Amino acid sequence: MKGLLIRNLSKTYFDPYAGAHVTAVRDVSLSVNEGEFVSLVGPSGCGKTTILNMIAGFVPASSGDIVLDGRRISGPGPDRGVVFQSFALFPWKTVLENVAFGPKMRGAGKTERERIAREYLALAGLGNAADRYPNELSGGMQQRVGVARALANEPDILLMDEPFASVDAQTRMTLQEELTRIWQARRPTVIFITHDVNEAIFLAERVIVLSKGRLLAEVDVPLPRPRVWDTLIEDAAFKTLSARVLHLVRSG
Amino acid sequence: MTTLLRLWSFYARRTTRWPGVAAAIPFIALIASWAIVAESAIFPRAFFPGPLEVVRSFGSLVYKGILPDYLEDSVVRLAVGAAAGTALGIPLGLWLGMSPRAYSALWPVLLFFQAIGDIAWLPILLIWFGFGLATMTFVIVYTVLFPVVLNTVLGVRSVPIDLHRAALSLGASRARILWEVVVPGALPNIVTGLRNGLGYGWRALIAAEIIVGTSGIGFLMFDARRAGSVVEILLGMIILGLLWSVVDGWVLVPIERATGQRWGLIAR
Repeated sequence: MKGLLIRNLSKTYFDPYAGAHVTAVRDVSLSVNEGEFVSLVGPSGCGKTTILNMIAGFVPASSGDIVLDGRRISGPGPDRGVVFQSFALFPWKTVLENVAFGPKMRGAGKTERERIAREYLALAGLGNAADRYPNELSGGMQQRVGVARALANEPDILLMDEPFASVDAQTRMTLQEELTRIWQARRPTVIFITHDVNEAIFLAERVIVLSKGRLLAEVDVPLPRPRVWDTLIEDAAFKTLSARVLHLVRSG
Repeated sequence: MTTLLRLWSFYARRTTRWPGVAAAIPFIALIASWAIVAESAIFPRAFFPGPLEVVRSFGSLVYKGILPDYLEDSVVRLAVGAAAGTALGIPLGLWLGMSPRAYSALWPVLLFFQAIGDIAWLPILLIWFGFGLATMTFVIVYTVLFPVVLNTVLGVRSVPIDLHRAALSLGASRARILWEVVVPGALPNIVTGLRNGLGYGWRALIAAEIIVGTSGIGFLMFDARRAGSVVEILLGMIILGLLWSVVDGWVLVPIERATGQRWGLIAR
């Protein structure tokens, strides 16, 4: 079975400050097909990042199963690429070395991994930045590196945790358009976490609304591609979808 | 007024071009005032000699070969002690920083022994090892070790968790993470630890040489006190300061410039 399957996933942890057990994720089941782009949307504290961290293997699940391509997940692994809100680039490595990191860990030789890195840098529109250090780049450029680094490892699924939340609004729109372009070109399986309803709809095939740790609703997004903001922002179907999802998020 | 302005602009241009000049100018003023006080003979000359006498004594001690020998002894002792302290301290710090169990077990012990200052070890070391190299090396290693360990632990713990997670999800093993993430991430703090360690080690060495010594800059100064030579005491003090500037400016600052500053981990 290709794709991601989540069955009855729950996460409970002890909050030492509240002195009580808190349930962050409650009995969530969902599936993501191979090559599908799914957004998880919801307000802060709805459990979306906890779900992503469990899929990534960063935190263990309290109960339930996560199965990727038929394998049960326990702990982090290179089959799941992660793009972080904090970018999480290695400051002591150049852009090229950052993107070549995954192939290097897989044992690719220097020429081979640099060829792969340059290919994905070109895909992300970063051909000229290869030899710079992350701190010399703008936030938008840094996150392009983050996306290229995750893709260069050719993961089975790409997990994106509010990746564009810390860049300015104009850059965010550009990055969203670039991400849809890359997705169309490569068709990776993507789970995208966001609290921004419009972003969730713009990018995804399917939007999943979360509230208080529960799965509230699933909304299909039948908008045509390629998607660009200039036309979509006026699009009636987009507006209807946006209003519907926003209502779900706010009612939850 | 225009002359003053012109002088100021000349000074500003030169010091931008050669930052060393900016560092030297306060010292010129300091030496000048020292010379004036000495020349005005407020204090007896034997108690408060001027810069010229110190330079002359420098010349004669170099000529006799005493100063080069003593300097070499001190620098070699510091280098050996600091190398051993660093070689022990960095791995220990990495281990404590990465293993919560080791940290909770050993951290209190570490703080306990840090509180027993280097000099406080001297009485028992003199009984165990006598007035020799072993005692001095122990004191320097001991002094260098703690700042290196404490700062390395701090550095390891300051590496953001997302960098660990990124490396894990890109397929890095624990050993690779140590080398690719933990060590470079902790490096700015490790350099700070080295800087503190070398500074403390240098002071501990001088103290050890005064008590234990048969040679070295500390011994030179203490020996000069016995002979009542204020000139040589002052000379020893100046050499200590100069030598530290050299180590800091030629060894530590370039390391920082090539690593943490370049990566944007520490402000320029």
